[in-house]
Amino acid sequence: MKREEAPKEAVASAATSSKDDPTLTTDAGSDQGLGLYLYGIADADVKTELGRIGIEENAVYTIPYSGLSAIVHDSPLEPYKSDDEEVVKGWVTTHQHVLDIAEEKFGTVIPFGFDRIIKPEGEVPARDVLNKWMAEEFDSLKDKIERIRGKKEYGVQIFFIPSVMSEKIVAESEEIRKIKEEMDSKSPGTAYLYKQKLEIAIKKEMESRMVSHFKDFYERIRKHVEEIKVEKTKRTDEKDKQMIMNLSCLVAEDKYKELGGELEKIDNEKGFSVRFTGPWPVYSFV
Amino acid sequence: MVLDIDEDNLKQGVLGLVIALLEVIRDVLRLQALKRMESGVLSEEEIERLGKALMDLDVVIDEIKEEQGITETVKSVRDGLDDLVDDVIDKIVNPSQLLEET
Repeated sequence: MKREEAPKEAVASAATSSKDDPTLTTDAGSDQGLGLYLYGIADADVKTELGRIGIEENAVYTIPYSGLSAIVHDSPLEPYKSDDEEVVKGWVTTHQHVLDIAEEKFGTVIPFGFDRIIKPEGEVPARDVLNKWMAEEFDSLKDKIERIRGKKEYGVQIFFIPSVMSEKIVAESEEIRKIKEEMDSKSPGTAYLYKQKLEIAIKKEMESRMVSHFKDFYERIRKHVEEIKVEKTKRTDEKDKQMIMNLSCLVAEDKYKELGGELEKIDNEKGFSVRFTGPWPVYSFV
Repeated sequence: MVLDIDEDNLKQGVLGLVIALLEVIRDVLRLQALKRMESGVLSEEEIERLGKALMDLDVVIDEIKEEQGITETVKSVRDGLDDLVDDVIDKIVNPSQLLEET
């Protein structure tokens, strides 16, 4: 599942990288010792507390800036890091949870990735650094909010079953059936080579079919979503199951059912299966 | 590329690597054999011998994998090689080209 993978990536980055955005450098000697851990930016002008729901039970609150509000907690300057994957997973889940709550309360929220910490710069406390950054990025943040308003991210992964496909191809392709018939009439050694020939022919045909299936599915899905991002396909654990497409889709709330219906149709096609996950924070589109 | 080889079991790891490479070579041989067969330069008897030899090679490889319990190791080495090649191809062939045509 797509978002099951996302935390894993975050886990890896948390475990290995400690370098943050170089523009947000730290000065440990300043009086304002604390940084601000940033969960996201909400489309709301509120100054409020969300309770101790943050990572390591920190109190989460909002810092408004002309119509937008950053969702933060006071944090040490060092990024959250642990060699224990379970601990990191817990943090990432909490991060996700805070974003869910924020969305419920404030509507549209631009999600930020795990471990984004705003640090004080010299005498300037982190809060002012954050406000300055929000001022500088104001237009771009507003644009992003507009882009994602009323929309959610969904993961769509489509798989095919090679064995079913190749059966279909053998049944449908004259050329391939002929190779198969020839193979059956040969002695073992020669039949072996014919078998290779057959496999190569099937593979070729399968690839060309998958290209047209990809285009077909893409077109059909595109009708129901605002934006599509084509992600890299991944290898599956199951032997007889291959991923043909891996998409992140930005979907308007009222289009969700349509998309689901279309995907169900694809799922019902012989030799294909679909995994539909979400809704997720719109990470892929901000 | 980092090959995932269990340090406690270096022997298996190395053997797995060797067999994985042998498999790759076997695949190349197969393709070459096919080409020869289709080019028509081989007699029927030669084709049969060639096919038989490759068949025997398959059996031997499978036996070694089974006996040494390295089927998974071989697979992970080959998957690793696949990923490496995928990455390279991915950089050369931009997948968005596929979409622009639609």
